[in-house]
Amino acid sequence: MSRINDVGGMTGFAAIVQEPDEPPFHADWEAHVLALNGALIRRGIYNLDEFRDAQERLPVPEYLAASYYERWFAAIRVLLVEKGVATSADLELPHG
Amino acid sequence: MADRFAPGDRVRTRATDPDGHTRLPRYARGAVGTVVERAGAHPLADERARGGTPDPHAVHHVRFAAADLFGAGDHAVVVELWEDYLEEAP
Repeated sequence: MSRINDVGGMTGFAAIVQEPDEPPFHADWEAHVLALNGALIRRGIYNLDEFRDAQERLPVPEYLAASYYERWFAAIRVLLVEKGVATSADLELPHG
Repeated sequence: MADRFAPGDRVRTRATDPDGHTRLPRYARGAVGTVVERAGAHPLADERARGGTPDPHAVHHVRFAAADLFGAGDHAVVVELWEDYLEEAP
Protein backbone atom coordinates (compact mmCIF):
# COMPACT_ATOMS: atom_id res chain seq x y z
CA MET A 1 0.00 0.00 0.00
CA SER A 2 1.33 3.41 -0.85
CA ARG A 3 1.41 5.72 2.12
CA ILE A 4 0.32 9.33 2.31
CA ASN A 5 3.80 10.59 3.18
CA ASP A 6 5.19 9.42 -0.17
CA VAL A 7 4.04 12.21 -2.48
CA GLY A 8 7.27 13.05 -4.31
CA GLY A 9 6.48 13.93 -7.91
CA MET A 10 2.76 14.26 -7.22
CA THR A 11 1.05 17.41 -8.47
CA GLY A 12 -1.87 19.31 -7.01
CA PHE A 13 -0.32 20.62 -3.80
CA ALA A 14 -0.03 24.30 -3.04
CA ALA A 15 3.37 25.90 -3.48
CA ILE A 16 5.78 25.53 -0.57
CA VAL A 17 5.95 28.80 1.35
CA GLN A 18 9.49 29.82 2.18
CA GLU A 19 9.69 32.10 5.21
CA PRO A 20 12.54 34.59 5.34
CA ASP A 21 14.44 34.19 8.63
CA GLU A 22 12.31 31.18 9.50
CA PRO A 23 12.60 30.40 13.23
CA PRO A 24 13.42 26.81 14.32
CA PHE A 25 10.03 26.65 16.06
CA HIS A 26 6.79 28.53 15.65
CA ALA A 27 5.61 27.74 19.19
CA ASP A 28 7.28 26.61 22.42
CA TRP A 29 5.42 23.28 22.40
CA GLU A 30 7.18 22.33 19.18
CA ALA A 31 10.56 22.55 20.91
CA HIS A 32 9.23 20.35 23.73
CA VAL A 33 8.08 17.74 21.20
CA LEU A 34 11.50 17.76 19.54
CA ALA A 35 13.22 17.29 22.91
CA LEU A 36 10.79 14.58 24.02
CA ASN A 37 11.31 12.58 20.84
CA GLY A 38 15.08 12.80 21.17
CA ALA A 39 14.93 11.63 24.77
CA LEU A 40 12.70 8.65 23.93
CA ILE A 41 14.98 7.55 21.07
CA ARG A 42 18.13 7.93 23.18
CA ARG A 43 16.52 5.83 25.89
CA GLY A 44 15.84 3.10 23.34
CA ILE A 45 12.04 3.25 23.63
CA TYR A 46 11.91 3.27 19.84
CA ASN A 47 14.23 4.05 16.94
CA LEU A 48 14.10 6.73 14.25
CA ASP A 49 12.66 4.40 11.63
CA GLU A 50 9.89 3.23 13.96
CA PHE A 51 9.15 6.92 14.55
CA ARG A 52 8.92 7.60 10.81
CA ASP A 53 6.76 4.49 10.37
CA ALA A 54 4.40 5.66 13.11
CA GLN A 55 3.91 9.00 11.34
CA GLU A 56 3.19 7.23 8.07
CA ARG A 57 0.57 5.05 9.78
CA LEU A 58 -1.46 8.01 11.02
CA PRO A 59 -4.98 8.17 9.56
CA VAL A 60 -4.69 9.94 6.22
CA PRO A 61 -7.06 12.85 7.03
CA GLU A 62 -5.19 13.42 10.30
CA TYR A 63 -1.80 13.26 8.54
CA LEU A 64 -2.83 15.78 5.90
CA ALA A 65 -4.41 18.20 8.38
CA ALA A 66 -1.50 18.13 10.83
CA SER A 67 1.47 20.44 10.93
CA TYR A 68 5.02 19.05 10.96
CA TYR A 69 5.34 18.86 14.75
CA GLU A 70 1.70 17.85 15.21
CA ARG A 71 2.62 14.73 13.21
CA TRP A 72 5.60 14.19 15.47
CA PHE A 73 3.45 14.47 18.59
CA ALA A 74 0.79 12.12 17.18
CA ALA A 75 3.47 9.53 16.33
CA ILE A 76 5.02 9.81 19.80
CA ARG A 77 1.61 9.14 21.37
CA VAL A 78 1.09 6.09 19.15
CA LEU A 79 4.51 4.68 20.03
CA LEU A 80 4.21 5.33 23.78
CA VAL A 81 1.10 3.13 23.80
CA GLU A 82 2.49 0.47 21.46
CA LYS A 83 5.71 0.20 23.46
CA GLY A 84 3.83 -0.13 26.73
CA VAL A 85 5.18 3.09 28.23
CA ALA A 86 1.72 4.57 28.66
CA THR A 87 -1.88 3.56 28.16
CA SER A 88 -4.32 5.49 26.01
CA ALA A 89 -6.05 6.49 29.25
CA ASP A 90 -2.75 7.83 30.63
CA LEU A 91 -2.38 10.08 27.60
CA GLU A 92 -5.80 11.58 28.22
CA LEU A 93 -5.06 12.50 31.85
CA PRO A 94 -4.95 16.23 32.51
CA HIS A 95 -1.72 17.60 33.85
CA GLY A 96 -1.92 18.12 37.53
CA MET B 1 29.98 -8.85 2.12
CA ALA B 2 31.03 -7.67 -1.34
CA ASP B 3 28.87 -5.06 -3.01
CA ARG B 4 26.59 -6.41 -5.69
CA PHE B 5 26.97 -3.20 -7.68
CA ALA B 6 29.77 -0.84 -8.71
CA PRO B 7 29.74 2.71 -10.11
CA GLY B 8 28.51 2.66 -13.71
CA ASP B 9 26.31 -0.40 -13.28
CA ARG B 10 22.78 -0.16 -14.63
CA VAL B 11 20.21 -1.11 -12.02
CA ARG B 12 16.46 -1.38 -11.78
CA THR B 13 14.64 -0.53 -8.57
CA ARG B 14 12.18 -2.84 -6.91
CA ALA B 15 8.70 -2.37 -8.36
CA THR B 16 6.74 -3.92 -5.51
CA ASP B 17 5.05 -1.80 -2.87
CA PRO B 18 5.91 -3.02 0.63
CA ASP B 19 3.36 -3.00 3.44
CA GLY B 20 5.49 -1.01 5.83
CA HIS B 21 8.04 1.77 5.98
CA THR B 22 10.51 2.00 3.12
CA ARG B 23 13.06 4.50 1.84
CA LEU B 24 12.45 3.74 -1.83
CA PRO B 25 10.22 6.61 -2.94
CA ARG B 26 7.17 5.74 -4.99
CA TYR B 27 8.32 7.90 -7.91
CA ALA B 28 11.49 5.79 -8.21
CA ARG B 29 9.87 2.34 -8.17
CA GLY B 30 10.59 0.05 -11.09
CA ALA B 31 12.92 2.63 -12.66
CA VAL B 32 16.28 2.02 -14.36
CA GLY B 33 19.26 4.15 -13.37
CA THR B 34 23.03 4.14 -13.04
CA VAL B 35 25.03 3.61 -9.87
CA VAL B 36 27.11 6.72 -9.12
CA GLU B 37 28.97 5.79 -5.94
CA ARG B 38 28.82 3.81 -2.76
CA ALA B 39 27.20 5.81 0.02
CA GLY B 40 28.25 3.81 3.05
CA ALA B 41 26.45 0.99 4.79
CA HIS B 42 23.54 1.32 7.15
CA PRO B 43 20.94 -0.93 8.81
CA LEU B 44 17.99 -1.31 6.45
CA ALA B 45 15.29 1.17 7.51
CA ASP B 46 12.50 -1.17 6.41
CA GLU B 47 13.67 -3.74 8.99
CA ARG B 48 14.50 -1.21 11.71
CA ALA B 49 11.00 0.22 11.38
CA ARG B 50 9.69 -3.17 12.48
CA GLY B 51 11.82 -3.01 15.61
CA GLY B 52 14.69 -5.10 14.29
CA THR B 53 18.41 -4.46 14.72
CA PRO B 54 19.68 -5.50 11.28
CA ASP B 55 23.29 -5.54 10.10
CA PRO B 56 24.49 -2.67 7.88
CA HIS B 57 23.66 -3.06 4.19
CA ALA B 58 25.35 -1.23 1.32
CA VAL B 59 23.77 2.03 0.17
CA HIS B 60 24.36 3.51 -3.29
CA HIS B 61 23.67 6.80 -4.98
CA VAL B 62 21.75 6.01 -8.16
CA ARG B 63 21.22 8.54 -10.95
CA PHE B 64 18.00 8.54 -12.97
CA ALA B 65 16.90 10.64 -15.91
CA ALA B 66 14.06 12.81 -14.61
CA ALA B 67 12.06 11.92 -17.71
CA ASP B 68 12.25 8.24 -16.72
CA LEU B 69 10.82 9.04 -13.29
CA PHE B 70 8.32 11.78 -14.05
CA GLY B 71 7.75 11.56 -17.80
CA ALA B 72 9.34 14.96 -18.37
CA GLY B 73 12.42 17.01 -17.56
CA ASP B 74 15.94 17.06 -18.96
CA HIS B 75 17.77 16.93 -15.62
CA ALA B 76 18.99 14.00 -13.56
CA VAL B 77 17.81 12.91 -10.11
CA VAL B 78 20.19 11.12 -7.74
CA VAL B 79 18.50 8.96 -5.10
CA GLU B 80 20.19 7.30 -2.10
CA LEU B 81 19.07 3.67 -2.15
CA TRP B 82 19.85 0.54 -0.23
CA GLU B 83 21.22 -2.32 -2.31
CA ASP B 84 18.21 -4.35 -1.16
CA TYR B 85 16.02 -2.18 -3.41
CA LEU B 86 18.12 -2.82 -6.53
CA GLU B 87 18.52 -5.55 -9.12
CA GLU B 88 20.66 -5.74 -12.24
CA ALA B 89 19.11 -4.01 -15.23
CA PRO B 90 19.50 -5.83 -18.56
